[in-house]
Amino acid sequence: MTSQGRRALEGIRILDFTWVVAGPVAVRILADQGAEIIKIERRDTLDLGTRRGGFSGNLHRGKESTVINMADPRGIAIAQQLAAISDVVIDNFSARVMRNWGLDYDSLKKIKPDIIAVSMSGFGHTGPHKDYVSYGPTLQALSGYTLQMRHPGQEPAGWGYSYADMTGGYSGALAVLMALWHRKQTGQGQFVDLAQFEAISSLVGPGLLDILNNQTPRKRKRVLHTHEDAGHGSSFQPVGNRSQEAPAAPHGVYRCKGDDRWCAIAVFTDAEWQSLCRVLGQPAWTHEAHFASLADRLQHQDALDEYIESWTQQHTAEEVMTRLQEAGIAAGVVANGEDLDRDPQLRARGYWAQLPAQENGKTEDVILDGPPFKLSKTPGYVATPGPLLGEHTDSVLRRLLNYSDQQIAQLKAERVIASHAEIHAERSAQD
Amino acid sequence: MTALAGLRILDLTDLKGSLCAKLFGDMGADVIKIEPPEGDATRRIGPFLDGKPHPERSLLFWFYNTSKRGITLDLNQQAGQELVKQLAAKADVLVESAAPGTLARLGLGYDELKQLNPNLVLTSITPFGQTGPYQAYRSSDMVAEALGGMIWTNGFPDKPPLHALGLQAYHSASFFAAIGTLLALLARESLGEGQWVDVSMQESVAGAVEHVAPFYHQGLGIESRRGSLHWSRYFRVARCRDGYVMHCSLGDWTSLVEWVKGDGKAQDLEDARWEDLTYRKEHAEHLFDILDDWAKDYSVAELMEGAQLRRIPYAMVRPPEALVDDPQLNDRGFFSPIEHPELGRTVQYPGGPIHFTTTPWRIARRPPLLGEHNSEVYGSELGLEADRLSALKQAGVI
Repeated sequence: MTSQGRRALEGIRILDFTWVVAGPVAVRILADQGAEIIKIERRDTLDLGTRRGGFSGNLHRGKESTVINMADPRGIAIAQQLAAISDVVIDNFSARVMRNWGLDYDSLKKIKPDIIAVSMSGFGHTGPHKDYVSYGPTLQALSGYTLQMRHPGQEPAGWGYSYADMTGGYSGALAVLMALWHRKQTGQGQFVDLAQFEAISSLVGPGLLDILNNQTPRKRKRVLHTHEDAGHGSSFQPVGNRSQEAPAAPHGVYRCKGDDRWCAIAVFTDAEWQSLCRVLGQPAWTHEAHFASLADRLQHQDALDEYIESWTQQHTAEEVMTRLQEAGIAAGVVANGEDLDRDPQLRARGYWAQLPAQENGKTEDVILDGPPFKLSKTPGYVATPGPLLGEHTDSVLRRLLNYSDQQIAQLKAERVIASHAEIHAERSAQD
Repeated sequence: MTALAGLRILDLTDLKGSLCAKLFGDMGADVIKIEPPEGDATRRIGPFLDGKPHPERSLLFWFYNTSKRGITLDLNQQAGQELVKQLAAKADVLVESAAPGTLARLGLGYDELKQLNPNLVLTSITPFGQTGPYQAYRSSDMVAEALGGMIWTNGFPDKPPLHALGLQAYHSASFFAAIGTLLALLARESLGEGQWVDVSMQESVAGAVEHVAPFYHQGLGIESRRGSLHWSRYFRVARCRDGYVMHCSLGDWTSLVEWVKGDGKAQDLEDARWEDLTYRKEHAEHLFDILDDWAKDYSVAELMEGAQLRRIPYAMVRPPEALVDDPQLNDRGFFSPIEHPELGRTVQYPGGPIHFTTTPWRIARRPPLLGEHNSEVYGSELGLEADRLSALKQAGVI
């Protein structure tokens, strides 16, 4: 959705040192809501292909890319000047990096007493593993998800992507907003030591309470030291596609007509079961005694799944979803990228943001994800596509720090800062 | 000091949104959970403490309802609806997760509530949002994960796509609902009034899938699932002597190759071509096959510790049980003991997602017993007389 109204975070300025995925996700959530994002980047930052749309554009939409050489004391001085006029400074480094730049909370507080500093490291700034290195997939492994996300008897699979970067990201955005609310009430800033490992660990669910309170340390030890099949005996069974909320059967992901097409179906109540049987045309097996009650169906889920799949395989995933939904049963196509793009619901709600973007002299529309919630009076929206590297270096220095053209030219000549034009020219010359 | 002290949140959610209100409660807001007289449905779902099914022992209910006070109320009776209005008149936020139109039918829609309290923020969490062709469709955590693009990416190519561990569609929706609510509260001062926050579970999942839609929109086609190989092709699970480990080829490459070479297992990894990240990505299967053959003789702990010493981000692929004794989580005080006096027992709870330094995350009180705060909230705070309270009780309203 694109519009031009007033947004909730207008007037909030964020100095953004984050990179890779989790940090940029936190900041883009705030960018969609109108915060001004000054994104500090390295001249030699990782090239992830097009920066306007796609993966990189989605991470950095609505931000201003400012290239500063933080290995130069003058670069650090510029960053400190920007911090002094910012509300929030956010990074995802280990503690050492910001300290070396004089941008850790204690130093920042001296130049901006009510600053909010959020650091989104992997393990936090304290503790025996504070210097451990991590990425989303390794945090998912450590917190128990990867092992449990598998079909019974199969090897662990886990997520095909970095969900831990997403939980780190939305926790980071929430941290900023809670700290802003606190500052509004008290006038005080603070330091938030967000550990992405804790963010993802906090979401394992009630099974964690079960382990903590129902399992003896001896049992736990046995689970942890079972050879050959780690996790065997865990109170978490391999998840497969069984219900983890109210008991439900059938509950699963079923193969439909076509190549690699699937529909998720969840039947909780007897009334829903009766509706399902009607949609299926009441074949004889639906009257078998061992499917009569929910308790029966739970006990015979594997057999039930085969019958259900014998029906779903005759229909497209869309047909299965529509026919079941019309009968009041929760069902949904297992959506891939194309399904998401065509999804009538997402389209009707204006979920996607389509924006013109200029790159390499060409103007093309890019399609980006939009904010997943709507505020009725101050709706968020994607204002600009992903920035080119250094696109806003000059304008940020001019607008926010009153640097003259001459000062800017000199800093460029001495390689303290860089704008997109120089970086582009330099890279073209190298190729 | 708490960050959200002074905020009052009414929690009318079911399982889809309970985490949203908990996030506010654990950060210091006064959260009042409103349950039907027979109790929240999750009280009857396990796991249960000591495996004994009882509405006051559901760990599912406990997990999502810390730091809340609890009252009961029958929304289907007019007297119940009146009580919600009286409570909403004094609240900052009402968060709910009923199907679109339900609140309006009860005379509790945003337009009615706004008349009573212009400052109120109404946050509605629904499967598909308040508008659009699917608004009346049913959902569940798994169905929302499917329609939002999460499940598609998980699992082996020859097997069905896989649901996540944990109710991650509900969690994502609850986080975005908390974010939306705080935005509305922050905007309230300049706007001079509250607003309605419309959260779609499907969009919340889609908005937290890293690459599925972006790759398609970038013209890279349809990304498929590949077992434990991450889409970036820099991570894959390996089997070792006593379990599994997560390989990562993004760490200090020289140190990794030296280590593997020292064990006589480097094969062609010494070739300079492997120093290039793109080459490693393009030949990920070959690379991880070599590393699998090397890793199989190590224990998971040896691999993780050895790798971390060399700044290589390997990780143990552990069962969730391992979190309980994790030295890092314990050192940072992630777990907290909370008294449940009526059980004569201290219950261990996991902590929150964010470590604030000035206004710490804290479980302020154990989850409420059914109707525990009825007389406190209806009596002392709303000022209902004792005989009015017993009449409401008699009529089954509370």
